[in-house]
Amino acid sequence: MTFMLTCPICGRRELHEFLCGGQERGPRPPQEGLSAEAHFRYAQFRSIPPAPQPEWWYHGQGCGVWFKATRNPATNREERPGG
Amino acid sequence: MARLPASPTQRIDPSRPIRFRYWGGEAEGVAGDTVASALYAAGVRVFSRSLKYHRPRGLYGLDGESANTFVAIDGVPNEAAETTLLRPGMAIAAQNVRGSPERDLYGILDRFDGLMPAGFYYRLFHRPARLWPFFQERLRAMAGVGVLQPSGSRERPGRFERYLNAEVAVVGGGPAGMAAALAAAEGGGRVCLFERRLHLGGHLDWRTRLVDGQPLHRRATELAARVAACPNIRVFTHAPVTGVWGENLVTGFLICPEGGIAREYHYECRARSVVVASGCTERPLVFEHNDRPGVMPATTAWRLAASYGVLPGRRAVFAGGDDSSLEAAIELAGYGVEVAAVADARAEGHDPELVAAIGEAGIRFLPGWTAGAARGTNRVTGVELRRIDGGRAEELRCDLLLANAGLQSLIGPLSTLKAQLGYCTRTGMFQPTRLPERAFVAGSMLGLRDVAAIEASGRLAGLEAAAAAGWDAESQIREARDAVRNAPGPAAGCFLACAPGIGRGAKAFVDFDEDGSYKNVVESAQQGFDVPELAKRFGGFGLGPGQYHVPGQNLAMIMAALAGTPLDQLSGTTVRPPLVPPRLATLAGPGLAVHKETPLHDAQAALGAIFRNAGAWHRARYFSTDLSCREEIRNVRANVGVLDSSPLGKFRIYGPDAQKALQRVYVSDMSKTKPGRCKYSAMCNDTGNLMDDGVVVEIGPGDYYFTTSSARAGATVEWFRYHTRHDGWEYQLVNLTDTLGSLNLAGPNARKVLAKITDADLSNAAFPYMGYREIVVGDGVPVRCLRLGFVGELSYELHAPSSYCGYLWDLIMAAGAEFGIRPFGLEAQSCLRAEKGHVIIGTESEQRVTLTDIGMGFLWDSKDTASKKVGAPALRHASGQTDRLKLVGLRIDQAERRPEDGDIVIDGTEVVGYLCTTRMSETLGWQYGLALITDRHAPEGGTVQIYSNPRGTPSVTHGTVVAPHFYDPEGARLRA
Repeated sequence: MTFMLTCPICGRRELHEFLCGGQERGPRPPQEGLSAEAHFRYAQFRSIPPAPQPEWWYHGQGCGVWFKATRNPATNREERPGG
Repeated sequence: MARLPASPTQRIDPSRPIRFRYWGGEAEGVAGDTVASALYAAGVRVFSRSLKYHRPRGLYGLDGESANTFVAIDGVPNEAAETTLLRPGMAIAAQNVRGSPERDLYGILDRFDGLMPAGFYYRLFHRPARLWPFFQERLRAMAGVGVLQPSGSRERPGRFERYLNAEVAVVGGGPAGMAAALAAAEGGGRVCLFERRLHLGGHLDWRTRLVDGQPLHRRATELAARVAACPNIRVFTHAPVTGVWGENLVTGFLICPEGGIAREYHYECRARSVVVASGCTERPLVFEHNDRPGVMPATTAWRLAASYGVLPGRRAVFAGGDDSSLEAAIELAGYGVEVAAVADARAEGHDPELVAAIGEAGIRFLPGWTAGAARGTNRVTGVELRRIDGGRAEELRCDLLLANAGLQSLIGPLSTLKAQLGYCTRTGMFQPTRLPERAFVAGSMLGLRDVAAIEASGRLAGLEAAAAAGWDAESQIREARDAVRNAPGPAAGCFLACAPGIGRGAKAFVDFDEDGSYKNVVESAQQGFDVPELAKRFGGFGLGPGQYHVPGQNLAMIMAALAGTPLDQLSGTTVRPPLVPPRLATLAGPGLAVHKETPLHDAQAALGAIFRNAGAWHRARYFSTDLSCREEIRNVRANVGVLDSSPLGKFRIYGPDAQKALQRVYVSDMSKTKPGRCKYSAMCNDTGNLMDDGVVVEIGPGDYYFTTSSARAGATVEWFRYHTRHDGWEYQLVNLTDTLGSLNLAGPNARKVLAKITDADLSNAAFPYMGYREIVVGDGVPVRCLRLGFVGELSYELHAPSSYCGYLWDLIMAAGAEFGIRPFGLEAQSCLRAEKGHVIIGTESEQRVTLTDIGMGFLWDSKDTASKKVGAPALRHASGQTDRLKLVGLRIDQAERRPEDGDIVIDGTEVVGYLCTTRMSETLGWQYGLALITDRHAPEGGTVQIYSNPRGTPSVTHGTVVAPHFYDPEGARLRA
């Protein structure tokens, strides 16, 4: 499987230039009183709905930026490239 | 065998003979021959023996459709004879043969097919279980294709790869593909055209039929010349496509001509749009003994005569289901083959022009008839023709039986592209019902037979593809649509699933590669594997190298007929990549040994360094053939040594929020950094595992210099930015790892050496342990000097611009000469640091242990929750837990055989941990070990057993648990 991603700095590039940083789950939760379960749920758990979802991608073989892209795991396509 | 007289369709040069060896004897082919055409011309009819039944198998297709024609060439097994060009001196041997191809000792297996029903390999000989290994060994010896020679050629043919970009990629170089490429190129975009055969032209290549007064093969030449003349079309021939992937990535391999850049290379073409025009192939007719040598598709015989000048046989019977068979009959009669009869499974709908020509040629035409059974064993000797309604049968003699049940489309590229396919009840073929974005289909795979219609569809697809890639071609597309509409539409196909009157236990093969018969399909269905995708796996249909080509559509049609499924609900099997099998070496690619060399590589090589790969680097591991490095270690402990530590990660981070970023990723309180001081700290991941350690130095307001371990240098930027991605902090991070080289000058005499080459004050008071100074060395080289102690001695790490490192090295070696300085390598460093109890990440840490478990919990600022330190919640969670692995030191008893790295630590029969690093230390006088063991066994003073079993002879050694700091535990030497 392969597809292309749009880096906000470099433009459309081959998938192999990128690393996936997983689903967008929001900023790190406040740690005061954070239960272990809540932490591991945030840090480890992923859901992969067959619908467009925001994800973090790293342009490791390029400019080194982390950016958010919307990908649909059902089709393996970036939705609204660059948008 | 003499070749036929020269003709314009021939692709050979009979004036250039090529000698080769076959089965021990000498034979001769001509330039332009493939191995298959040369063997056939030399009279070879039995090419191999089949997988299960050892039945004789002959030439079937000419494009690698089955393993029938797999041969061993110069000791390399499983080469497709039809697609390999003949080279002088080749030694060719048949496969899966005991004796000779014609007289095979296992041929008797054919009579015991009752013992080998569908799925027998999964079901029989398994009870009782102890019998299975016996049968498995024997079955495997009898079955199979080629045999790999472990002592054979180690040649790596895949030394090259090619990556292409195009606006439009066209798969298939027949008339539709060429028309598509030409049309797409009109827009000025880059076009790549991929053709699996040696020549463009597709099915026009060997046809002499006149259309508009021009022979079709000349039309092919004309189109190919136009394609070649077009500057923005790149043509790749002998370049099968292995798959078309997401967003139109076309992958395949190109078989190079003799003397080319490689024997075969992998290519990938990223195209904006793709046109699939992969064409059609004859759908095999399933009838009794349809695998006998001499039974083949009409096209194979036709091409043998037209392209290779080989007379395929003397007396032929045709049993077809498509007009191409009628045309082939007329052509072959013209080449001198006696055509005894032309049966056609279709009762009507034939091209009247061809029917008339058959009549004129005096050939018997039998519409509504087909082949029911082939006669003969090593050669076909005759055929029983049957009426489709089963009413009558008739025997005819022949040595060539050209059979098909119409055509089937080559849907492979569409299947990998995830196009939706459906069975078309007009054309009798699987055809695309929905295509992915920017993918287009053209040509005969749409059911088109008229050449003008095929070209028109190609032109339309090419224009649409170019338009999808950004060219405004609206008016051209409108015209092309009209042209398609005015051309003849798809022709009616043939719907025959298999010949009438079979299925009573006779051998009618659906798949040659795996010896899958009609009977096996019935058995699979009876066992509950009653849809094609299940039967494919259980009975083995289409799992061989030819994959879809032979069983493809037939499997679906026969299973539908057995289940009574209406044709329009027919479902096929997914064709999987690679569509055509490339060599593994081609997929493995160039296998380049890519590594980095430090700025001190040559200087160390000159001193006899032995280099090893270490991560991305090639590093000096030893400086002598004594792999225990006794002298290197002793010299550091007693005197002074120098290590090239250039791969050490070196970074600068600066900006108003730089400290916040440090606080996030480091476990310590990074607000406590001080100018001129190295602050040692560590990084964890979200599960509290140690990821990295190093020092951080404040070099200005909001400006820091820090080091990471060599292995983590590449991931550090990614790590910082990932863990601060939501915060919008303002900081810059610069990787200086390659910009700066680094040397570690270590040993009691280190200060004396350094003092000779710098004016800086190196006294303990002016430059204490963990100090950081920017000093000038030699003729003015700026050096960042860090007073650290990884190896447990007084030491200075010197970071200097890479280009100065060679000069710095020479300076240090000259200054140290009077003390007897010597370089040391990675192995010595590893022993030195282990004696000191300094961990290496990944050696003394792993995913089951946290920072605390390996005794580095003191680094963690556990009260800080505001910075949201990475790993802190996990460390907090694990801090109260028991039954965890802990890092301990071991003093290991003397033993005849010393335990080694990785040996397990046991308590009776229970495994309680393992040895991470262990060495016999000359410094200490005993063997130490760093081990991860459960906390129950971790208290100091306890004894443990170490179980070693290196070469199958186990031994147990005892050890005492001690603190994991064996050498200079107070650190007096570091501070000296």
